Amino acid sequence: MTHPRPRAARRIALPALAGLAVLTLAGCAGGAEPAAAPDADLAQEIVFALKEDPTCLDPQQTSVTTSLIVGRQIADSLLDQDPDTGEIVPWLASDWEASDDLTSYSFTLRDGVTFSDGTALTSDVVAANFDAIVGLGASASLAGGYLAGYTGTEIADEKTFTVTFSAPNVQFQQGATTMSLGILSAETVAAPAEARCQSVVGTGPFVLESYVPNSAVELVGRDGYDWASELREHEGDAYLDAISFPIIAEPSVRTGGLESGEYDVIQDVPYVDEARFGTDAYRLYAKANPGVPNSLVLNTTRGPLADEAVRQAISKALDREQINLLAGSLSGSAPTSVLTSSTPGYTDLGDVLAYDLDAAQELLEDAGWTLGDDGIYEKAGQPLTLTVTAFYAQDVLEAAQIQLREAGIDLQLKMVSAGDFFGAIASGDYDAVGAALTRTDPDALRTLLSSASSSRWGIVEDAELEALLQEQAQTADPDARQELVDDIQRIVAERAYVIPTLETVQLHASRAGVEGITFDSASRLHLYDTQVVSR
Amino acid sequence: MVSPEQRAASAPTGERARTIARFLIPKILQCLFVIWATYTVAFLLMHALPGDPVLAALSLRGGDATSTDPAELDALRARYGLDGPLWQQYLTGFFGLFVGDFGTSIATGEPVIAMVGRAFPHTAAVAVFALVVGFVCALAFTVWAYIARPAWMRDVVTQIPPLGIAIPAFLTGLVLISVFSFGLGWFPASGTSGFASIVLPGITLALPTGAIFFQVFSAAVFDAGASPFVLTANAKGLAQRTVVTRHVLRNALLPSITIIGLQIGYLAGGTAVVETVFSRDGIGRLTVDAVLARDINVVMGVVVVVASVYAVVTLIVDGLYGVIDPRTRTRLLRGKVSAR
Repeated sequence: MTHPRPRAARRIALPALAGLAVLTLAGCAGGAEPAAAPDADLAQEIVFALKEDPTCLDPQQTSVTTSLIVGRQIADSLLDQDPDTGEIVPWLASDWEASDDLTSYSFTLRDGVTFSDGTALTSDVVAANFDAIVGLGASASLAGGYLAGYTGTEIADEKTFTVTFSAPNVQFQQGATTMSLGILSAETVAAPAEARCQSVVGTGPFVLESYVPNSAVELVGRDGYDWASELREHEGDAYLDAISFPIIAEPSVRTGGLESGEYDVIQDVPYVDEARFGTDAYRLYAKANPGVPNSLVLNTTRGPLADEAVRQAISKALDREQINLLAGSLSGSAPTSVLTSSTPGYTDLGDVLAYDLDAAQELLEDAGWTLGDDGIYEKAGQPLTLTVTAFYAQDVLEAAQIQLREAGIDLQLKMVSAGDFFGAIASGDYDAVGAALTRTDPDALRTLLSSASSSRWGIVEDAELEALLQEQAQTADPDARQELVDDIQRIVAERAYVIPTLETVQLHASRAGVEGITFDSASRLHLYDTQVVSR
Repeated sequence: MVSPEQRAASAPTGERARTIARFLIPKILQCLFVIWATYTVAFLLMHALPGDPVLAALSLRGGDATSTDPAELDALRARYGLDGPLWQQYLTGFFGLFVGDFGTSIATGEPVIAMVGRAFPHTAAVAVFALVVGFVCALAFTVWAYIARPAWMRDVVTQIPPLGIAIPAFLTGLVLISVFSFGLGWFPASGTSGFASIVLPGITLALPTGAIFFQVFSAAVFDAGASPFVLTANAKGLAQRTVVTRHVLRNALLPSITIIGLQIGYLAGGTAVVETVFSRDGIGRLTVDAVLARDINVVMGVVVVVASVYAVVTLIVDGLYGVIDPRTRTRLLRGKVSAR
């Protein structure tokens, strides 16, 4: 690994001294807007420590955050979405239009866009991308979901084309802003799935230089990049000349390396270390994942969870503020709906999800449950117990377990591997699963709960909800759709099909001398505007 | 009276080769058996694990979007050769080994041979460093303990090396990183580039390795030190240094060679903890990831490579006995002589 000399010198200095120096420099920078152009005297190279091996760099195949952070820099999308307003703006497509029934979308590509291998972006390449995603099947499940009902891409000419679907597809427009539908070169999409994982060519501001699994990913800036979306801060080439992504699995090594100056940016700061990096010497980047927050997603077809009163009691017995305090980020807030506050279409249902232990117990007693000698409710000799299957966020579930125990409900945790978690989903053999579903559109609730969804987690038999879920997926008018989405959130929260526990926050940190790291609407990172302002 | 050495030297060359072959061939067969048995047991264990390898692999990159569509899963199962009956998978995999086909990782899509080939040198570099440092330190401590006076001083010295195995590698690694990477900036905290990246993980592993060496080595040395020939050597006025190097250490060498064989086997398996703390791509981390992802092909590939290393090292150690220990040599040849 090559380190620019100034930083190597700093690494030798004592961390305390280094900290002081950074403090002084940070004082000069004062957290102002990024300068118009980066300082030419400073090497525009950063070291960004990732928390895990990306495994597969192809943004169309992966939906793992770590991999997407890398993939986002390599691949651009047809459209872009403002993370604050949810507004969709042009990117690789200069113009686009959806048909009224949402079964076809027409795009006009921006002029002069090329891939880093020199080939031009044309309608043919985009069509090949979408065809390839459908062909990848289970290997590209997220991207494939955005293309649900895809029947083909009709090419009008080199720059205009129409994507058609067999049924209304509301999520495609938003999906086209994600890296899951990021556009890759014709050669990349023609390659087998495995080869694409190791090497991808896109139109993005950075080019993949090398990827050594379990070691590092190296990106270099691309010369002649001139098609940033209007949501970026500048035009032309990215400020950074190179980004090195070493893979550092141990969190304390990442945090220690940020303090010592070995890394400029680190992914996934443990929440317990958040306060440590709250000083002027560092910058923290925090944003809640969009989609469905960390929740208990219930199987309502078996056990006590078939009883709505029980489900509601569980929801009311959870003190989400306390869970956030115990297991969440300082920058996060307790969930107030079955969508996170960072999701477009979110509705505040804080009243429904408020903590009310007395009401919870009253609900149970009205439904015929009596408090047993062991402090757990029971009915007809059966204790009120349920098991949640999960593969991460054990601390969140433990906090919920303690709170439910106080309310007289026995929550058992079954922590399994990711593969076994999806094995349980496939068989439907669980009382509840504990996980979050990260999506940038309220359609996430349809994916999660609809009986027509191929990988649903919540097993719910509710015709009214099902009808609403299908209707919102076919409604083009934003206001009309928002009304449907409001109703859906209220039904799901009130009937307690999904019981939110925590909004997971993406928390990254950099030293103060690095500026311009921004989140996209999926809470993944753009490094295009990033620059080094001091060493 | 003809000494055994002379008799060995006087035996015709063909005789000699046949003797060596008679000594080695059973050991080579044993070595092949070990590799086959390890492969078979590991194969059965992997298949006894609950969980679906295809789902486990998909969830690695699919995250919360992992598909559970049965038709798509079946298609992938067929693609990775996981659809046939168990015996068929076993035979395909086993005979594949003989043509160098270790298969493809289900999780990453990379050829297993490439993954193991990439990780193995990293593990080997650290293992060799740890072995050398551990051995030298154990030797130094043993000699120090042997010559230390008075007795309480010797007791103190012999109590130091066991600390190396008592402190978990995880802790040692983090402390070394804090001091020498983050504090002094002498060595990188992570990565596999260059000699500097080997030093800290090497030292972390040298501590337990050295501690085990020391235990075996010092026991043998003190044993030899108490034997009559050392008493004689001392009595006839040989210098302490000569006694230690020519008589004590030489006799203590044999048990140490045995333990080196075991240590190499242990280090070749890579030590996942050290590789994780130092963010190194290595055999240990590869194995842990593969087992968690039920990535059968990778696990089998690693098992075969590590078992081979282990078996070959054992073979070499067995061979070395014959070279180093005159008793083993004599026994072999005497068997030969009496048969004649």
